[in-house]
Amino acid sequence: MKRYHDIVGDGGSRVLEQVAEQRARVTDGLAGVRHLVAVGSGKGGVGKSTLTLQLAGALRARGLRIAILDADFNGPSQARMAGVQEALFVPGSHKVALPRTTNGIAVFSMGSMIPESEALEFESASHGESHTWRATREFALLGEILRSFEWGSLDLLMFDLPPGAERTVQYAEYLGPRTSFVLVTIPSEVARGVVARSVAALSKGPNRVLGYVENMSGYYCRDCNAIKPLFDSHDQPAPGQRRLEIPCLGTVPFDPELARHCDRGIPLAELPDTPVGRALEHVAQQLLDSLESTPEFPR
Amino acid sequence: MKFLCVPCDSPMKLQTVAPPEGGSLSVVYSCPECGYEMAMLTNPFETQLVQSLGVRIGPGTSEGASSGASSKCPFPAMMPATEGAPAVTRDAEPIAVRWTSGAEARLANIPEFVRPMARTGIERFARERGALEVDEKILDAARDFFGM
Repeated sequence: MKRYHDIVGDGGSRVLEQVAEQRARVTDGLAGVRHLVAVGSGKGGVGKSTLTLQLAGALRARGLRIAILDADFNGPSQARMAGVQEALFVPGSHKVALPRTTNGIAVFSMGSMIPESEALEFESASHGESHTWRATREFALLGEILRSFEWGSLDLLMFDLPPGAERTVQYAEYLGPRTSFVLVTIPSEVARGVVARSVAALSKGPNRVLGYVENMSGYYCRDCNAIKPLFDSHDQPAPGQRRLEIPCLGTVPFDPELARHCDRGIPLAELPDTPVGRALEHVAQQLLDSLESTPEFPR
Repeated sequence: MKFLCVPCDSPMKLQTVAPPEGGSLSVVYSCPECGYEMAMLTNPFETQLVQSLGVRIGPGTSEGASSGASSKCPFPAMMPATEGAPAVTRDAEPIAVRWTSGAEARLANIPEFVRPMARTGIERFARERGALEVDEKILDAARDFFGM
């Protein structure tokens, strides 16, 4: 009797072939993108989205062609922060145009489509059992977005990842070895521990981890014009605490004014010269240097 | 998943996919040698797992079918009310807006999941400009308006 691998094809459903075709179209859609960078952490609430947008802005100011894909479909924040909350997705003759920020960064975020008062929902034949299929559906949606939108010629496509160490690895596997990672932490042992798990998980695969950014590394007090500690120890982990064995791309202090800008969708460029602005410039340059110093993966 | 006709030792071929009912698909396979037919009846978990991959199952899934311009839905009959439905209603929109075939064809380029929301937004854009028909000029105007 024939076994599974003795039979060519599957009799007509072509499930595997269709998945392979989807992947091929994703690859084609991203052929014009020089660098793919995923900004993740594992930990939630550390400022991944803020850093993604502000680093994109700093690199855009250097003349790079940038796009952001807000991959946090369930908690999208880029639409609000980038000021594209009311933007439309308008179809062209082949693909769909991306909304752009006032400084020219193309942004895909589910927040442009779904009001903040509503949750992302999928039609389902299996009601009440979304834990069995939800992640698969979300990655299928990611694939649809990657192959349907006009990414065009870009220097950099940044993915703003959702929280979860396991999600970070899932995105690494889905996006493939071309995608490099930047991890975001804050100066707390809890956050550093979660990010260390992401580093450990990513180290088992082929994706390059460019380094980490320590966000909320103190806060900028405008009254004192000084950086003050936000956590007990914001410089180095205390003896016995976990260290991240990847390069540090920089530290960024918390600035309440930046938070207000993000809530209102105002770019950082409209902030006067501040410590947080200078810190972001430094991280952006480190990121750029890191990207340019390594050979590109074949597209 | 593959099906083998044991007496003939021959791979069975997909024949039809019956309309889904209660989350279950009825997929009929037949043996090209002896003509024996059998049906695979999926439970809702199996149906949803395959649906979540974003693929289409049916005898019409020959090369390129899954990327067709008309519909990318794997089980169209299982996705009622999404296409064309105002999934996101931000404003009351009492006036109907027509779509030309050219504009509809371009709309099909939008991922199915976000298509109803995009349709709603474009229709609002058209109404705000006094247009009761979305054609390719309206779509181009929207692209220009949003700096795309």
